[in-house]
Amino acid sequence: MSTLSQEAPQASNVPVADWFDHTFLYDDPLKISQRMRQEGHEIMYIPMFHMHFTCSTALGRAIWNDPKNWCNLRGEIPLTKAIGPNLMFKRGEEHAKERAAIMPSLRPKTVQEAWEPVFRRHAAELIDKLIEHGPGVDLNEHFAVPYAARNLAAIAGLNEVPWQDVAKWSHAFIKAAQNQLDDPSLWPPAEEARNGVDAAIDVATPRLKANPDASMLSSLVNGPSQIPLDVIRGSIRLGVAGAMNEPQHAILHGLWALERHPEQKARLLKDPTLFPQAFAEVMRWLPPITAVPREAMNPVTVHGIDFKPGQIVVVQISGANRDPKEFEDPDTFNILRKPRPDFSFGGGEHLCAGIWITRATVQIAWKMLYERLEGLRVIEPEHTPWFGFVYRGIEKLPVTWDAVRAA
Amino acid sequence: MTKIIYVTSDGASTTVDAEDGSNVMQTALDNNVPGIIGQCGGGMICATCHVYVPPEFADLLGPVGTEENDMLEVVTTGRRPNSRLSCQITIKPELNGLTVNIPESQY
Repeated sequence: MSTLSQEAPQASNVPVADWFDHTFLYDDPLKISQRMRQEGHEIMYIPMFHMHFTCSTALGRAIWNDPKNWCNLRGEIPLTKAIGPNLMFKRGEEHAKERAAIMPSLRPKTVQEAWEPVFRRHAAELIDKLIEHGPGVDLNEHFAVPYAARNLAAIAGLNEVPWQDVAKWSHAFIKAAQNQLDDPSLWPPAEEARNGVDAAIDVATPRLKANPDASMLSSLVNGPSQIPLDVIRGSIRLGVAGAMNEPQHAILHGLWALERHPEQKARLLKDPTLFPQAFAEVMRWLPPITAVPREAMNPVTVHGIDFKPGQIVVVQISGANRDPKEFEDPDTFNILRKPRPDFSFGGGEHLCAGIWITRATVQIAWKMLYERLEGLRVIEPEHTPWFGFVYRGIEKLPVTWDAVRAA
Repeated sequence: MTKIIYVTSDGASTTVDAEDGSNVMQTALDNNVPGIIGQCGGGMICATCHVYVPPEFADLLGPVGTEENDMLEVVTTGRRPNSRLSCQITIKPELNGLTVNIPESQY
């Protein structure tokens, strides 16, 4: 984020968060929003990033709902350096065209008809393996990672490569995408991941042209309009980068949050109709992606602040999802809360295309895990380690259970 | 300018001078009309800009497309024969006086 070069990155009249230092990069970013609220500010300027951060849902929404004046970042940022050009950094018709080319694979109807059976099969196979490992197994390594990676490989259409490669590429992209401090060791794995994805596309394309399926690559190569190879690569790389971390972490965050709230866990397991609400609340309370930026394209005033072109506002997602003006008792985890639009999947034209996929993968995983493993619980949830700044999540979650139910 | 009237489920009405070429969802967001979320900015991903339109405007709006139809299947407040996604209704002078009824919930 330090590569931005605009001359006056700070909007006038926005207070400076002079307390922000690099230690925040290794901590829970929710602390930024908590500090801002303590000081009575809904937006502050962070000199280290040359960006404003906001924890206000209303302010964030005003920006995201105004595509004429705000776009995704235009300068080079770690994410674009990591995965190369892709639709996330395009706008208007160009973006809409590329988005439309992948959406047939990601719409709710496709998710239900084509993908849910695949997700169930993957979950069932992996739960069998969990049972072989026995109580004490790390649910991240032995379920969340392989489940998310196998689902992702299928959705992307990269059937010819082992899921381990897809997982490795996705992690390399995510690590490089949040390499704000420009650690040189993180760029070569991202390059290897780009090359790996591109080679996998080359291998899969003839198969999908001969036998189209519901995958993203199939939609791209068999769609009504001719899509250039660089666009295909950008879209699939973005899918590989984005579609693993989020479901992987959401699955773990949900099990962890429920463990910390046993009454709600018991209620959910008694009434499975609450799963969609539980999913919405887990995403609000513990969002796997914690920061989403927008850049002003024109002079624009939002909530009385005059922004100049090139100035950037980052919505601090975990903070905005706990905005007391938007959510009653916002710090409390409550699966009975009526779902409201939050920022966990972004918003506006760049709303996460995988929103329906993620809703399905995560809820299927929770339901099948709790169904098969009677008494499933997290071991010592009070000691669970969390990692990451922009992409934040649980990386190790040992679990145990009392008995195994038949599949 | 084309007048669009938004009516929420509790009967509150907002009349907006809409810009031709925009759409009914974006016009609602630009004018802070309550009840239309439009989370995906018109990409037909979120199904949070659901409205009911009067039958007399049906011909002017054209048929429901395949993608719009798929998304209307997953709206949270009951789909009716006159359900539309407001992001798919482009503002044009013939729509002057269009009243859209906003369902109780989009989420």
